[in-house]
Amino acid sequence: MPTITIDGEKYQVDGDQNLLSSCLTLGLNVPYFCWHPEMGSVGACRQCAMIEYKDSEDQSGRLIMSCMTPVRDGGIYSVNAETAKEFRGSIIEDLMTNHPHDCPVCEEGGECHLQDMTEMSGHTMRRYRGTKRTHRNQYLGPFINHEMNRCITCYRCTRFYNDYAGGNDLQALGRNHQVYFGRQQEGRLQNGFSGNLVEVCPTGVFTDKTFSAHFVRKWDLQTAPSICEHCAVGCNTAPGARESGNGHDPMLRRITNLYHHDINGYFLCDRGRFGYEYVNSPTRIDQVLSARNEELIGSTADTKDQLHRQVNPRDGVLHLSVQITAAQRKLRRIIGIGSPRASLENNYALRQLVGLDNFFSGLNRLDQHLLQLVNNIHSDNRITSPNTPEIETADAILIIGEDIYNTAPRIALAVRQAARNRQKKQAQDLKIPLWQDTSVRQLEGDPSPIIFIGTEFTELTDIATTTLFESPERVTLFTQALTQEISKSSKQSTEISPEFQKEVNHTAEILLKATNPLIISGISSRHLDTLNAVANLARVLSNHRKVPTKLYLNCGEVNSLGMIQLFNEKEGSLEQLMESLSVSDKEIPTSLIVLENDLYRRLDTPSVEKLLSLVDEVILIDTLLTPTAKRANWIFPASTTAESQGTYVNNNGLAQRFYAVYEGKGYIQESWRWLVDAVDFCTEKSENYSVLRSWKHSTDLSDALAREIYTLKVLAEIGPNEDFRIDGLKVARQSARYSGRTAIHAQQHVSETPPIKDPDAPMNFSMEGIHNPNKTQLQANIWSPGWNSNQSIFKFQQQVGGERKGGPSGKYIEFSQHSTQDSNVSEETSVKPTETSNNLQMLPIYRLFGSEELSNQSMSFSEVIEAPFILMHPDEISQYDTQEGELVDIETNCGNYRAEIKGSNTIPHGCIGVPFGLPGLESLAPQIPGYASLRPAVTPAISEEQ
Amino acid sequence: MLTNPLTKNITKDNIAADITRYLANDGYQGWRKAHSMAPDDIITLVKEGGLRGRGGAGFNTGLKWSFVPRGEGSPKQKFIVCNADEMEPGTFKDRLLMERDPHLLLEGMAIAAYAIGASVGYIFIRGEYHLAAERLELAIEEARSRGFIGNNIFNGEYSLEIFVHRSAGNYICGEETALLNALEGRRAIPRAKPPFPQVSGLWGKPTVVNNVETFCNIPHLVALGIDWYRGLGVGQDAGSKIFGVSGKVKNPGAWELPMGTSIREIIEQHAGGMRDGLRLKGFLPGGGSTDFLGPDHLDLPMDYDVIGKAGSRMGTGTITVMDDKTCPVGLVLNLTQFFARESCGWCTPCRDGLPWVVKVLQRIENGEGLPEDLELLQEQCERIGPGKTFCALAPGAAEPIQSALKLFERDFLDHIKKGCCPYK
Ligand SMILES: Cc1cc2nc3c(=O)[nH]c(=O)nc-3n(C[C@H](O)[C@H](O)[C@H](O)COP(=O)(O)O)c2cc1C
Ligand code: SF4
Ligand code: SF4
Ligand code: SF4
Ligand code: FES
Repeated sequence: MPTITIDGEKYQVDGDQNLLSSCLTLGLNVPYFCWHPEMGSVGACRQCAMIEYKDSEDQSGRLIMSCMTPVRDGGIYSVNAETAKEFRGSIIEDLMTNHPHDCPVCEEGGECHLQDMTEMSGHTMRRYRGTKRTHRNQYLGPFINHEMNRCITCYRCTRFYNDYAGGNDLQALGRNHQVYFGRQQEGRLQNGFSGNLVEVCPTGVFTDKTFSAHFVRKWDLQTAPSICEHCAVGCNTAPGARESGNGHDPMLRRITNLYHHDINGYFLCDRGRFGYEYVNSPTRIDQVLSARNEELIGSTADTKDQLHRQVNPRDGVLHLSVQITAAQRKLRRIIGIGSPRASLENNYALRQLVGLDNFFSGLNRLDQHLLQLVNNIHSDNRITSPNTPEIETADAILIIGEDIYNTAPRIALAVRQAARNRQKKQAQDLKIPLWQDTSVRQLEGDPSPIIFIGTEFTELTDIATTTLFESPERVTLFTQALTQEISKSSKQSTEISPEFQKEVNHTAEILLKATNPLIISGISSRHLDTLNAVANLARVLSNHRKVPTKLYLNCGEVNSLGMIQLFNEKEGSLEQLMESLSVSDKEIPTSLIVLENDLYRRLDTPSVEKLLSLVDEVILIDTLLTPTAKRANWIFPASTTAESQGTYVNNNGLAQRFYAVYEGKGYIQESWRWLVDAVDFCTEKSENYSVLRSWKHSTDLSDALAREIYTLKVLAEIGPNEDFRIDGLKVARQSARYSGRTAIHAQQHVSETPPIKDPDAPMNFSMEGIHNPNKTQLQANIWSPGWNSNQSIFKFQQQVGGERKGGPSGKYIEFSQHSTQDSNVSEETSVKPTETSNNLQMLPIYRLFGSEELSNQSMSFSEVIEAPFILMHPDEISQYDTQEGELVDIETNCGNYRAEIKGSNTIPHGCIGVPFGLPGLESLAPQIPGYASLRPAVTPAISEEQ
Repeated sequence: MLTNPLTKNITKDNIAADITRYLANDGYQGWRKAHSMAPDDIITLVKEGGLRGRGGAGFNTGLKWSFVPRGEGSPKQKFIVCNADEMEPGTFKDRLLMERDPHLLLEGMAIAAYAIGASVGYIFIRGEYHLAAERLELAIEEARSRGFIGNNIFNGEYSLEIFVHRSAGNYICGEETALLNALEGRRAIPRAKPPFPQVSGLWGKPTVVNNVETFCNIPHLVALGIDWYRGLGVGQDAGSKIFGVSGKVKNPGAWELPMGTSIREIIEQHAGGMRDGLRLKGFLPGGGSTDFLGPDHLDLPMDYDVIGKAGSRMGTGTITVMDDKTCPVGLVLNLTQFFARESCGWCTPCRDGLPWVVKVLQRIENGEGLPEDLELLQEQCERIGPGKTFCALAPGAAEPIQSALKLFERDFLDHIKKGCCPYK
């Protein structure tokens, strides 16, 4: 480690970092704009100037840009030298010749890096007497504001958007002090990582438009560490909440990134950043609702939907407790359906209440098998699950059947960085440090091999070295042939054409030549054979390379991998539930408790109808008025991620805790609390009840899980429990500057209401307590004196770009390690679509906006979610007497749907691409892979199913 | 002995020397000879000949070529690029060479390409130079039809293609790494160095960028040898050079003269001295981005190091003369407006500092200047000095300003005191 001297002090620093990040790591305040910890140095803003001295004799030294300077062992530098200070002040002075002076009306104010750096530079006097340059702003879509007059031309936005995230519709346009950062034409920014501009831009040019709709200053937000619930990657977030303007209920106001070294680093995808608005949506449930069928008498509607009315929560809890008591007396059967989008704690509470025999996953059979297979694969010690930095450093990537940009977006961003590894290697050979961003990017560097085989490879085709668009059957075939090729097994598949074999050989060669190969796949293609083949490939590759194969598997939903831990031997699918219900004793009435799940997204509609007809009542605990909610007899309002505490397990098997950011409105509470409340009402005595009754804190459940389920034993260690204190104090969720605390409820009553108590976390819903729990994982308010913007994150890292000081959040669950046979794990159970007169095979395709249930309810998403459509190969469309852009009617065994038909070369002949979960087509998803037939739409519109 | 190798084919008429005339006058002899030499020997010869880059910086050309990785394991694809952007205010030497003797440039490029092992060359030419571009394209066709460029030159293994690329226009495109970006279709912004273009240039491949005039020196240097070439110069530097004079002289123009010719000779003999009634008040020795020198410096020889020591730069060797009836504030304002407009916009001191300087100069010129404005100008010049900005454009822009502040301080003060421009 080089030793350097800065302003007379000696320090040891990491020789791989530049002088600027070394200084920041040391805790020294050096201002900067264009440098970014993840994107490196470009030397544009000249704000980071320091002095370098030749030797101890040298008095005047030389002005250098610290971000462009490698640290030299024995080097002597100064931050505080007068010439350096003056120069840094002069940069601010130059920037301010064009920058407006209206921070009070700017949405960046209070978390503005330009404000901070201006303060830090000490520039205070205005000498410029001229006019300022002005620009026109553009409409950039529903997510992002554009106020170009605030631009200081640091080039961070285009560097992030184009160079880092692969976008192509945001440019630096023009030259000199007129450079304009915008689109050639107004319109929505197309790249799915555009939201990071809000954090990357050091000024108020790019700000969060969804936040604007209910804007408050950063210091007026209360926050806590959270997990993004919109896919299974497990990105860490820092949601911000505050009471709404009318002084009533608190509301969620925005999501910002919360650095996690192994997962999201500095960046989130747009689904994760802007999908939060579902929490405040008009379809949000915040009361206990009860169906009153008699009120329907006289109604002519031939719908089974219930009309609900608000009831006293006590009545609901009482009802639930009556049913539970009846079940205890064997007079009633209670079935519980869990959910991959509910926390481990909530799922576990329901399982505990109804017993494992009566607990089901809420997934259809195929999904359940897919997840179980993923779980099995993870238990194989020849396979490891790579984290984001590991993905970024892979030198060959094979992606099988997973359109990661749309299914696990943050991973797509990591893969994009891996494409540059040859370039980085070249840089290292030329002794160019990797943080020298422009230098490295101008090197030749062909893309590292990235091979994709599957249905769609969105936004990444530019970096793919090979893309093969094939049907799932052919994907399986390819994977099997590849496995054979690598294991050099003699049995040659006869079904393979020479060209296909060539691709196989080429891929095998790449995987074998790579020093750090990686495979990505998952459940999204909904194909067991493919997943089995992928597992075998990974095993064979591991046998061959004598090290575990890095295999990233996408599991779809935020807690898919967690929930599956609750079913070790049992299948637990909805189909199994139906089978069991059809043979069960009809004499005993059945109550169905559905936990945070919309069954209509899991099964085709006739099957849901059948399932519901087999039970006597449906009790739902959920957040949104889903189609399932409309059929429920009782509805209890559940809290969302930001309103509750719990644990999710991500694709890597990382169990992470999220904390309540705010208390939620109405009668919202964690699902498990509704169950415990009901048990509390029960008069019956039972051992099980006393267990449930003993749960007071969320961590009581996590601890119980840790004790009961072997693979989840790390749950006992993943975060501080409720009784944790720092210097005898809890952690404050509100900043020390939080304003109006005593006035927020003043219009209702003048007395100051005490802050709500948090029974789950060692945190206060107030400004009292520790504000800088740096050594724990509870730090979510990324703020440090003089560093009001999120740039201050380095103050909470062990070194710039390193682990958080509080350590990584979460712990890896322990998949029971065993070496399974190389056979297909669940071959017998593989679900084959039944061919009918319908002749088109449905393939699932995914959309960043539109495929995920919760974010679809966000207000800003309505503008970006596509209208119902299906994809078909352009050559085939005319065979169906229609053309691209026309409406078609799609008929399956379970219903009719209407959608626009679009052409796509990636869809194999004889297939159609069906957007998974897209509003209007939700109930098609569970029918994949099944068959459909197609005809031009006839008017008047056929009565749409649902 | 040949003393005008650069202009020997240039006549009074505005026509290009075509291939017949070029060949009749010993054309492509240098290339023929070079082709029979080992590439390394050509590089050594050019290095020892003492040819220094004519684009402004005066770097030894052979030395520059020697940085290109050669031999086993080096990239196969390499590029030779001719910098024909010539947007430096007051500079018009490359235009003359390209319009009148395009084959000389092609021959120089062919030798350079062969020496470094490049198989493709680009001439990045200023967008306004239509005539030069057309004549070059014609010359390329002629040279190709005679087998001087194209496939299997001189029936050997070596092949070379040369393309003319017209610039979309921006002074910064003349900075060699911004030029490479522009050629690749990117924004014309200078690149970070290292890596230098010789190691990683156009599309990441080893690339040599030289000025038009630099290339034009090469055919005769190779054909006639080091001793002849060194003997051309009358001062410290080797070879001959195109010197030019613009401003209110009797006979503005450009002439090929020995390196080391005195400034007085260039201005008084070749340019015919000042127009009647005007006195020389100062001059920019090598283009708009060099420091003003005064009448005291007239006897200096035009050698890189001599002019450097005098506090300016020889730059492109095209002198802009300022007379005593021209307002120096106005002249500096005009130049700074150019540089502010042409700033690529990458780094703060240049991008936001120069427009401020323009505003201040404009104010002084309008008679609205304040005494503290001079201090501000001084400060701004320091802010955009060498090492403080990302590339050399801004330090270049500072040169005429800072030297004018010293040399013509009186004029600045007069503007401020009188509240108007005394020259109007
Ligand atoms: C702002 C700027 C503009 C320049 N313009 C030109 C130009 O128009 N022509 C040129 O040959 N060199 C120009 N240069 C110099 C080139 O960067 C480079 O040094 C030159 O092309 C190298 O060729 P040489 O070694 O043959 O002189 C410019 C440099 C700067 C900083
Ligand atoms: S961008 Fe920052 S400095 Fe500029 S107006 Fe907004 S808050 Fe103020
Ligand atoms: S818009 Fe923001 S990020 Fe982009 S250049 Fe301007 S200040 Fe920098
Ligand atoms: S000094 Fe900076 S802004 Fe000016 S041209 Fe060079 S890189 Fe561009
Ligand atoms: S941060 Fe170093 S130049 Fe911008």
